[in-house]
Order: sequence, then C-alpha cells, then structure tokens
Amino acid sequence: MRLYRFAFSSMGCPCEVQFEAEDEATARRAYTVARAEVDRLDAKYSHYRSDSWLARACAGAGPDHTVDVDAETASLLDFAATLHAQSGGMFDITAAPLTRLWDGRNERLPTPEEIADARARVGWERIDWQRPRLRLPVAGMRFDFGGVVKEYAADRAAVCCRAAGVVHGVIDLGGDLAVVGAHHDGQPWLAGIKLPSNPGVPCANVELPRGGLATSGDYERALVVDGKRYSHIVDPRSGWPIESFASVSVIADSCLVAGAASTLAILLGTDEGAAYLEGLGLPHLCIDQTGSASGSIARL
Amino acid sequence: MKRPSTSLSALLGAAAALLPSIHAGAASTDEATTLMSYRFSDYDEDALAPASVIGDGRRYHVLSHELDVDSKLADGQYGLKVNATHEVMSGSSPWFVLPDEHGKPIQVLSGATIKDHRSALSAAFTTDPTTSTNTTYSASYSVERDYSALAAGIERSQALSGMLTLGYGGSFSHDLIEPTDAVAYNRIQRATKNTASGFGSLAWVLDKSSVLQAGVQLNYEHGYLTDPYKLYSYGDGLVPERRPDARAQGAALVRYRRSFADIDASLHLDYRYALDNWGLHSHTVEVSWYQGFGNGWRFVPALRYYSQAAARFYSPFALVADGRNFYSNDYRLGTFGAFSTSANLRKALGRWELSMGVERYHSAQGLALDGSNEPVPALVNFWRAYAGFDIGFD
Repeated sequence: MRLYRFAFSSMGCPCEVQFEAEDEATARRAYTVARAEVDRLDAKYSHYRSDSWLARACAGAGPDHTVDVDAETASLLDFAATLHAQSGGMFDITAAPLTRLWDGRNERLPTPEEIADARARVGWERIDWQRPRLRLPVAGMRFDFGGVVKEYAADRAAVCCRAAGVVHGVIDLGGDLAVVGAHHDGQPWLAGIKLPSNPGVPCANVELPRGGLATSGDYERALVVDGKRYSHIVDPRSGWPIESFASVSVIADSCLVAGAASTLAILLGTDEGAAYLEGLGLPHLCIDQTGSASGSIARL
Repeated sequence: MKRPSTSLSALLGAAAALLPSIHAGAASTDEATTLMSYRFSDYDEDALAPASVIGDGRRYHVLSHELDVDSKLADGQYGLKVNATHEVMSGSSPWFVLPDEHGKPIQVLSGATIKDHRSALSAAFTTDPTTSTNTTYSASYSVERDYSALAAGIERSQALSGMLTLGYGGSFSHDLIEPTDAVAYNRIQRATKNTASGFGSLAWVLDKSSVLQAGVQLNYEHGYLTDPYKLYSYGDGLVPERRPDARAQGAALVRYRRSFADIDASLHLDYRYALDNWGLHSHTVEVSWYQGFGNGWRFVPALRYYSQAAARFYSPFALVADGRNFYSNDYRLGTFGAFSTSANLRKALGRWELSMGVERYHSAQGLALDGSNEPVPALVNFWRAYAGFDIGFD
C-alpha cells in the first residue's frame, strides 16, 4: 500500500484527495471519478457560473416561473427546508441578495432602500416548493446551496471512490473533509482544523476514522465603516448582520451533516449557536472573534 | 438508552435522502426504533392509629403493572406510544368522620372489604416526532368495577426559533360512575362527569446547558364531582357528602433544567401553583438531581413539597345542620402539607436499562403554608417501591 495525493481546484477552492492504494493506476482511477463528481456538482449548482443548471433555474423568476427539479435537487431542497426550520429561518437559500449588500468590498453601508429592495427578493417561505415543482414567485429571486453543496460534494466524491475500488482515503474540498475509509492499518486520518484568520497554522488536530469534518466561518473580508465592523453573517429576517463565531468546526457521520451543523451554528450567533451544537451532541470547536475557543474538541 | 437529539435526528433524516449509502436508516441506526418498558410498583398506605379510628385501620394497598411501548414508524416520520396498566387495589378507605365526646374527630373506615382491579389503555400518535415541530393525538380508556373514563387529546409543539419552543394543546374526558351497592347504601346509581383541559407553554434555551419552561393550564370539570362512597356527619344524621357540580381550575408552572456535563449530572427544579373556584389552592416545589456514575449507573434523588389550603366546604363534620349547600370530609380537600422523598437507581446494560426506586410520602396539617384549621384526620402517608426495565429493539 502506498499513499497517493492529487491536488486540483474546483468549487472555487483548493481541493486535495489522498488515497492508499496498491498501485498508481487504481489511485488515479479513483481520483478521476472523485474529481468528475465534484466538477459535476460544481457545474450544476455553482452560483457564480452563469451556465450552471442553478443559474438557468433561477433565470426568469417571477409569478409564473416554475421549474421541475430532479431527485438530487429535490433532496437538497428538502435538506435546506430542514435547516431553515431548525434555524428558525436564519438558514435561507434565497438570502444571497442580502448577503451581497454586506460584502467587505462595498466599502459603505447599504442604504435602507437597498436593504428593503433585497428583502423583497429574499425568503424561503415565499418559495412554493411542492416536490418536484419549484416556483420562485418574485422577479429577481434566486437560491443557491451555499453551506451545503461543497460538503455534499465531498461525501459524494468519497462514495464514488469506494465504488471505484479505493477504500482507504480522504477527500478535502477547501477544508471540508469526507473520509473514504481509514488508513489500511485501521488508523484514523489526522486532520488539522485551521483558523480563518491564520490558515497556515492548525488550531486543532482531530482523528477521523470515518465520516466528515466541516468548518464554516465568517471568512470573507468584513465590511468596516467608520471603524465599526459589520460581519458577513446576515439575518435574512432583518437584513442586518449579526455577530457570530469567527469559525465553527463539526465532526459527524458525513461531511454534509457536519457542514449543516457548523453553518447553522454560525447563523444562530454565539449563544444560540453554542446551545444548538451542545444539543446536537456532535464533536465541535468554536472560535470567537477574539480568537478564544470553546466546544468539545480540544484546541492546540 | 442514549438517543440522538431531535435536531440531530432531523438532520440525519434529511441527509439520508441525499446520501443513502452513508445514512441508510441513519435516523434509526443509532437509536432503537422501538423502546419497551415494564414497571411493577407496590403502593402501601400506612394504617391509621387505632386510637382515632373506628374499623380496621389498614388502608389502601395497590399493586400495579405498567407496560409502555414507544415505536418510530415509517423511518421516524411517525411515533406511536402505547401504555397498558393493570392495578389491583385492596384495603379500606376513609368513610366518614364522627365527633367524639370532646368534639375531636374520629375517622370511620369502610372496613377492609374493597378489592378491585383497574385496567387502562392509552395510545398517542405523533407526526414528525424527531423534529421540534410536531403534533400528538392521544386517546385513553380506563375501567374498573364502578368507574370508567374515556379521554382524547391533541397537543402541538412548535419551534419559534432555535431558542424558543411553543407548546399548546387540549383534551376532553368523559367519565362514568356506577357505584357498587348503590341501592343498599342509597348511593347515586349512575352519574357522569366531563372534563375539558387546555394548556400552553413556552420553553427557552437559556444557554448551552439550561432550559426554562413556563406554562399555564386550565381545567373545567362538570357533572358528578362528589365521592359517592363518602358520608358526612351533618347535625344528628349521616348524609352522603355533597360537592358543587362544576369546578374550574387554573395552574401555572415553571420548570428549570440545567445540565452539568463535566460531572455527568443535571438539576431539575419545578414549581407549580394551582387554584380553583372551590377555594382550594396549592403550591408544589420539586427538586431532583440526576447523577451519572459511569458504566451506565445513574442515581436520581428527589424531594417534593406540596402545600394545600382547604376547599371552602371542607370540614370533618357539622355539629349543627345549618343548611349549608355543600359539605365534604374528604381529606384530599383539606388543609395539609406533604413531603415526598424518593430515590431511583438505574443501570444501563447494552440495550437494556434496569431501574428500581423507593418513595416515602408523609403528610400533616402542620406542614401546610396556609389554609383553614379544620382538622383532617385521615391524611395519608405511604411507601411506594418499584422496579422495572427498558429494552430497545430495531
């Protein structure tokens, strides 16, 4: 058994797969199918590519606009609905118009009119979702699977590797990890959790025999106006940013569930997010804006 | 038996549709889909002191068997709980109170002749039991020789946010009373009682280790609310006791739960205040401590204090027939306070959990916070011991 590593770029982030295989041909075959799966999901659900299925599905949103979606998209929409319910409306796949207003590159606060205009196009409850038919009733309304799809892609890539005959390996899509299977001697994979502010130095090391690890964070450059910092985490109900953790990492049986838990914890804010994670009972590490850590995973 | 939290189950359930090979049956692999529990208990009231009693002072003794089955159906979309209880009661109960030559009360018991069985069956069906927003429909039927009760209810739990859950519901019960030996003892032969109840509650997650719940409950009973077996010493004669045919009751409760994860313990603190239009009001305070000791051992000591002020028409007897409308000497309507001390020990063994416990209940008029000074001679003290097991199945 030898270790093989392949690095590539997809879903807007650096990715890496590591396999233990008998020969390079086996490892390369697994890499090819894993990468193809990640690229497939990127092409389908990318929200920054105008040629994605998602972009086409959202184009022409309005009172008479309906799309019949496939089973995979339907299950992603159902998953998003679960997260919306579980977060009391904080997780909202239609929130992009609002989030964009608080981008650090804007260098100014959005006007009340801009917020009102964006809010008019935001709200999962406005979407009419009757599997398999989706209706986006407001012109300019859109949705994306940010916070879910990269994690889902990591799990799918791991499933494809196993189907391709590689059973010892790990998929890393920009820090979101899915384990194909433990090392050939049964040892878990070691993964470093990195701080968004200092990605070069891991702040915790965890053992992953199976399942996944996901980290969500307030990574993007924050909007700073008159010395006040406005976070990138926006409450879709008010249109205003909330203060939350700088980063939340969660370990679960799949990268998808780990990602959902970490995303919701960030969206719920520090107090409610910590209580939510405690209630889930999954191993987690939260780093607040001052850099101090909490949670059941020990910080280095 | 550790079950995943409801929010984790909901996440796993939704993820299973996307990643069936990883989460195949995810909502159920970590938890048993059916949980069955059986409990046997022995309830034994202390005999009354012979000096103040006419008749055999031995009181109620109840042996009960209780079987619960809690099952998840259709991959956790529905939950079904069924409870079956069978009780065997024996002993005598307070019948009436007579004044002695100094005007002090002497309790007369019915004699150790009662031997009865009660059987009850209830079922509750819940939609989306693994989520924080769900609805439960319930129905129950209970029967004994002289009494039967049929009840139905609906309750709903609704997450308002990650921190706040609203609960509300209502129930209705129809009871039929057919006293034994009705003609011989001039008792009512057949009577009914209807009860309507409603409740509302809010639960707040205060922080990662504590939850506060506050709620209100309203009950309205209408029909035959009198105990058909009890007599009342009224002037020179003994007459059947008489209570109003309607009773409205309101209660407010507060519950606090705090976990101390680092020492595997949690604190439960409950307070309840209730009052009704019979003039009766009560306070209940309960504190219990759940302590884990590793290896599946858990010990739960608990202390409950109850204080009740008597109903307006409670008195042990009336020396003069003064024309009052209602009168009862039922000790449950008198002024008293009570302490209940209990301890429960549990041990988990794989999918089994064994439990046993004991409770001592002591009541006395002097323990009451407030209320009338009318003597209550038949106050009850009892021991209760129980043992049982839980087992999970896939």
